[in-house]
Amino acid sequence: MQITLDHFDVSILFALFSSVILGLVTKRTDAERLQYGLYCFGCFIVALFGISWFMRLLHG
Amino acid sequence: MPATTAAESVPAPLRSPITTCIIAWLVPGAGHFFVGRKGRAAIVFATVAACFGVGLLMNGPFFAPTSGGDLLSRLIQYGGFIGDLANGLFYLLASWLGYGPPQSAGHNADYGSKFLVCAGLLNILAMVDAYEIATRQKE
Repeated sequence: MQITLDHFDVSILFALFSSVILGLVTKRTDAERLQYGLYCFGCFIVALFGISWFMRLLHG
Repeated sequence: MPATTAAESVPAPLRSPITTCIIAWLVPGAGHFFVGRKGRAAIVFATVAACFGVGLLMNGPFFAPTSGGDLLSRLIQYGGFIGDLANGLFYLLASWLGYGPPQSAGHNADYGSKFLVCAGLLNILAMVDAYEIATRQKE
C-alpha cells in the first residue's frame, strides 16, 4: 500500500506533527501547550505560503 | 537548627533518568507513561507513530551509513541514520521485517524518508522532556 501526497499536503502534515510535539514539550500547562502548538502551526503555515510566494516571484 | 546541605536540598529523581530515556527511545511516549504522564504519553505515541507511518506509506527509504562519498554526503547519511534509529522499536521492527522500498524517482519517496527521520527527531524531543520530568526539572 502506498500513498502519494503533493507538496502542500506534506508541508501541512509536517507542520502538524512538529507543532504538536513542540507545544507538548516546551510548555508547562495544558492551556499553554495548546496555545503554543497552535501558534507554531500558524507560523509554519505563514512560512509555507510566504516562502512559496517568494519562490514564485524569484522564478517568475 | 541545623543548616541543610546542598545535597539535602536536591530532591530525589521521580524515576531513574537512564531507564526513562531508554524506555522513551524504545517506544515513543513510553517514557512519559513511565513517569506518570499518561495523556502526554498517548499524544507522543500517536504523533510519532503517525509521522513514521506516513513515511512508510510513502515508501521512504531508510538512511544507511556509508563509508564512500564526500564528507557532506556521509554527514547526511549518518545524520539520517541517527534520525531513523531514534524511532526505537518502530525502526528496529521495520528493518527486521525487511522493509526496503524499491528505488523510485519523484518526490514521494524523498518526502517519505524525511518523515521517517522527522519522527525520530520528534521522539528525541519527547525523550528529553521525559528525562526532565524524571529528574523533576519540570512537571
